[in-house]
Amino acid sequence: MAEMWISMGPQHPMTHGLWTLKVKVDGETVVDTEPDLGYIHRGVEKICESRDFTQITTYCDRLCYASANTWSHSYIYAVEDLLEVEVPERAEYIRLIAVELQRIASHLMWLGAYGPDIGNLSVMVWCLREREMMMDLLQELGGSRMHYNFPRVGGVKRDLPHGFAQRARAKVSLFLDRIQEYEALFDESTIFLIRTQGVGYSKPEEMVNHGVSGPNLRAGGVNYDVRTAHPYSVYSELEWEVPVERPSIMGADCYDRYRIRVEEMRVSALMVLEALDKIPLGADTYHSPGDPAILAKAPSRAPEGTSGSHHFEDSRGESMFYLAGGGEGRGKMPYRVSIRSPMFITIPYASKCMVGYKVADIPAIMGSFDPCIGETDR
Amino acid sequence: MDGDGQNYSVFNSRMLVDTVGDITDEALKASRIKDIIGVLVGRVFNWSQRKSLFPLHLGIKCCALEMAAAGASRFDAERFGVFFRSSPRQCDVLLVNGPISKKFADPIVRLWEQMPEPKWCIAMGECAISGGPYFQSYNVLEGVDTIIPVDVYIPGCPPRPEALIDGFDKLRQKIIRIGAAPDDGAPETNNPIIIGDV
Amino acid sequence: MGKTVTTSSQKSAAEEMASDLSAMDGVSAVVSERKSGTSPRNIVSVDCSSDNWRSLAESMRVEHGVDYCSMITGIHWPEGPSDRNWEVIYHFMRMGVDDPPVVDGMVQPIIKDPSELEGKEVPLEIEVRIALPETRDPKVASVQDIWVGADWNEKETWDLVGIDFEGHVGMRRVLQPHETPVGFHPLQKQHKLRYHDFEEMYDDAQGFLRKPSDTGKVK
Repeated sequence: MAEMWISMGPQHPMTHGLWTLKVKVDGETVVDTEPDLGYIHRGVEKICESRDFTQITTYCDRLCYASANTWSHSYIYAVEDLLEVEVPERAEYIRLIAVELQRIASHLMWLGAYGPDIGNLSVMVWCLREREMMMDLLQELGGSRMHYNFPRVGGVKRDLPHGFAQRARAKVSLFLDRIQEYEALFDESTIFLIRTQGVGYSKPEEMVNHGVSGPNLRAGGVNYDVRTAHPYSVYSELEWEVPVERPSIMGADCYDRYRIRVEEMRVSALMVLEALDKIPLGADTYHSPGDPAILAKAPSRAPEGTSGSHHFEDSRGESMFYLAGGGEGRGKMPYRVSIRSPMFITIPYASKCMVGYKVADIPAIMGSFDPCIGETDR
Repeated sequence: MDGDGQNYSVFNSRMLVDTVGDITDEALKASRIKDIIGVLVGRVFNWSQRKSLFPLHLGIKCCALEMAAAGASRFDAERFGVFFRSSPRQCDVLLVNGPISKKFADPIVRLWEQMPEPKWCIAMGECAISGGPYFQSYNVLEGVDTIIPVDVYIPGCPPRPEALIDGFDKLRQKIIRIGAAPDDGAPETNNPIIIGDV
Repeated sequence: MGKTVTTSSQKSAAEEMASDLSAMDGVSAVVSERKSGTSPRNIVSVDCSSDNWRSLAESMRVEHGVDYCSMITGIHWPEGPSDRNWEVIYHFMRMGVDDPPVVDGMVQPIIKDPSELEGKEVPLEIEVRIALPETRDPKVASVQDIWVGADWNEKETWDLVGIDFEGHVGMRRVLQPHETPVGFHPLQKQHKLRYHDFEEMYDDAQGFLRKPSDTGKVK
C-alpha cells in the first residue's frame, strides 16, 4: 500500500482546538505523525512585558480558556513569589474552591467533547448541562461566565457571596450523583470500551522523560501530583487522596485516562464541600472587597534582579510561570514572563502514542490526552 | 472515467442547454412571468435561508466554548435552525470566534472561499472584531475584517450565548433587508450591524 | 489531613543535592526558599557556566536522578552587564518515578505516602541559570538527548528568543509561522509591540485626546 501524509487540518471537528496533525498512513495504519501548532499564537509573553502585574491576570485567564481559573491562580502565585506577599488563609480557601470548581468544569468540558469523538453525542449535552451548573457558581464568584480575573496579588477579588455556600453545596452534591450517570453511560457501553481499551498505551517512565504530568501521568499508576509533591495553598489541610489509576502492563490506555478524570472530578467535588466547611471565619460571613481577611497589601513594584516562579497543578498537568522582575526603571511591569504549558509538551508525546494504531483511533487517543490549544500556543 | 461509455452528446451539449435556456429566459421575461416567479420564489428562498443558517464547526479560541454552550442544552441554538456543519461546502455562515494569527489568515480565507454563495460572516468576540486584548501582538491581525467581509459583529469577551443567538437574529434581519442572493454592488446595503444599534 | 511532602524533608533533600552539585567545577548551587502564598518550598538554584553545562546535565540525569525537564526560558538583557546579556534558565524536577511494578501479572500502582518520603525520593525542583555574554548569536549546548521534554522547549526558545542550541536535531519554527523571516525572534528587546508608543494608541480614532501632561510617560 502506498504511504501518504494526510493533514488533519486546522479546521477539524475532532481536534479539540486549532492545530494540524499531519499523519502518515500506510493503508489504515498510522506510521508517523507530526503536529503543527501555532495557529493561535498571540505572543502573550511579549504583550505581558508591557502590562502591569494586575493586568496580566486577564491574559492568563485566556491562556487555557477551558480552565481559566487554574491559569490565573498559577500566575498569581508566581507574582506573590516575586513580590514576596503573604496571603490570608481565608483567601487561600476561596482560591481553592474556585480552582477546584474550575477543574470540575474543565474535565466536564473534556468529557463533553470526548464523548462525541467516540460517537456518543448525548453525553455532550449532559456534560455541558453540568458545566452550566459549575459555571453558575463560578459566575457568582468571579462575575463572568468564562474569564473571571478572580485572584488579586495578595488575595482574591471578592468574598463568597451571600448564600453561596448553600447553593454550592446543593449543586455539588447533585453533581456527585450525576457522575454516576456518566459512568453508567460509558462503562456499560461496549462501543466505548472497545474504542478506548487497548488503545494508545503510554508508560510512566517514558512519560516523565517526555515531560508529561498531571492526570495523564497518574493514569499510569504513579502518585505524583504537584499539590502534594510541592505543596502550596491549603491542600494539606483537607482530607483527600490523590486519585491514581491501575493501568495494564503495557501502560495507560485511553480508558485509564478517562477513568482518572472522572475520579478527579469526584475528588475535586468532595474537596469543595470540605473547604466550605473548613473555611476560616465561616462560609456565611461576608467581607467587602479589599478587606484584609481576603486581600493583603502587596507591593506593586518588583526590585531589580529578582525572579519568581511557581508550579501549579493545572487540569492538564503541571503549569509553571517564571517572572523576571525589572526594577525601578520599568515601572510596574515584569521584564519577562515565561509560561510553561503542559499541553505544549504533551501533544508531541500524544502524537507519538498514535503510531501503530488505526486512523479511526486517532480521535480517541488525541482526545484522551485532553489537548487545549490556547495554552499550547500562548 | 477515462472516456469510456457512450457519448450522449445530444444531452451533454453545452450549446444546446444554453440555447434552450436563453430562449426560455427571453420568453419568460417578455411575459413578465419571470418577475412574478422571482418575487414569490425569492421570498421563499429568503425565508428558508434565514431560518436555517448553518455555521461552520470552527472553534478558534474561547468564544468557541460559548458557541458550544449556545448549542448545548441550556441555550439550544438548534431550535432557531442553527445547525453546525463540519464541511465548509455545506455552510452558510462563517462564525469567526477568536483572534486570527498570521498562520491562520491563509486557511481562514480558504475556508471562506470554499463556502458557496450566499454566505455571511459573523465576527464573534473582541479578538475577531479588532484583535481584542492582543491588538498589540506581532502575530495577531487586527480583526478578521481585514481579510474577510463581515456582516455582523458581536462584542463581548466572550459574548454570552444569548448574545450569540441575538447575533444570529440580527443576521436574519439583515438577510430580510438585503436578500439571500449575492448583491451586485447595490449601494448602502453592506453596512455591518453592530448589536445594540437598533 | 491531606498528605503532602513535609517541608523539612524537602529542605534537607535540597541541601544534599546542592552540596553535591557545588562539588562540580563551574557550578555553584544554593538552596533558596520560595514563599508563594502560604507554604514555603525549597528549591535548588544552580548557577552554571555555559561550558560546563553539558557535563552538569549528564551528571544530574545519571547520578542525581533528575528525570523531568519542565521549562526552558530565554531572556535577553540588552541593558544588563556585558557578561550577562542573555540568560537561559532551565527548570527541572526530580520526580523519582519508575514504571509501576508488576506482581503476578498485575500492575501495582505506586501509591507512596508523600509525607513519608525521605532522602533521594523526595520530589525536588532544580533551577539552572546560564548567563551568556553579549553576542550576536547566543548558543548553549542542547540537552535534547538527555531529556526528551527539552526538545520542544528548546525549539520554542529558539523560535521566540533566538538562543541557539548546539546539537539539537530538527530545529524549526514551532509557534510562529514557518515562513517567518530568518532572524526574526520577537522576544528580543529591540522588537517593539505594535502601538508601543502610547501616543499612537491615543490616535484619536474614538476622540480620546492624550493629556499633554502624560506625554512620554510609561503607563
